[in-house]
Amino acid sequence: MIWKILTGFLLSVVISAVFLMSPPQKELGDVSRIFFFHVPVAWVAVLAFFISMINSIFLLRKKELKYDVQAAAAARLGFLFCILAMITGMIFAKNTWGSFWNWDPRETSIFILVLIYGAYFALRSAVEIQERKASLSAVYSILAFLTVPFLVFVIPRVYQSLHPTQSVVDTQFKFQLPLPYLLVFLSSILGFSLIFFWIHKLEILLNTKEKEKE
Amino acid sequence: MCSNFVVMIVSLIVWIGIFFYLLRLDRKIKELRRR
Repeated sequence: MIWKILTGFLLSVVISAVFLMSPPQKELGDVSRIFFFHVPVAWVAVLAFFISMINSIFLLRKKELKYDVQAAAAARLGFLFCILAMITGMIFAKNTWGSFWNWDPRETSIFILVLIYGAYFALRSAVEIQERKASLSAVYSILAFLTVPFLVFVIPRVYQSLHPTQSVVDTQFKFQLPLPYLLVFLSSILGFSLIFFWIHKLEILLNTKEKEKE
Repeated sequence: MCSNFVVMIVSLIVWIGIFFYLLRLDRKIKELRRR
C-alpha cells in the first residue's frame, strides 16, 4: 500500500516541478516541458513490451497459462502507452515542426510499432482455442519485441530526423540534463513505471478471476 | 496558444488515457461480480 501512496506523491511532485521549473531546452521554450511526460510514457511502452516478451518466453518453456495472462496484460498496457506516446509526440511536433504528422523516422517507427502490436491483438482475437492462442501469441510477442530496439532506438538515430535524439544521454551515454531536470525526469520515469506495474497487477488479478469463472 | 497550455493538454491526455483504461478494468470487475 505504501508504494501506491508514494507513487501518487511522486507523480504529484513531478507534475508540479514540470510547471514550476524553467523549460529544459531554451531554444524550444516552454513546449520542451512535454519531454517530462512524453519520454517516460514511451519508456513504459518499451518496458511493457519487454515484460510481455519475458512472459511469452516463460509460457513457451513452462506451458502455464498464467504467463499468457501476464503477457497479454503487459502488451495491452504497452499498446496504450505507445498510443499515448504517439499522441503526445504529435502535439510536440505541431508546436515545434508545424504539423501533427510529418512521416519523420521517429513518427514512422512508432506508427509501425502500433501496427505490429495491433496485429498481436488481432491474432489473439482470431484464435479461439486457449492453448493455441497462448502459444501463437507468445511466439508473435517474442518476434514483435525483436523489432522494438530497432524501431525505438536505432532507426530514428540512423536516419536524419527532426526528433531530438540526445536530450537525455549523448553519444557517449553521458547524461545531458542538469541535475534538477535529471531528478524530475527520473522521478517521472519511476512514477509512470510504478503506475504501469500497479495497473498490470490489477489486470492480471482480474483476468485470472475471469478465467476461473469460465 | 500559450505553450504552458500545450504542456497541460499533453499531461491531461496521458492521465485521461490511463483513466479510460482504469474505467475499462472497473467495468470488467463489475461484470465479473454480477456473474
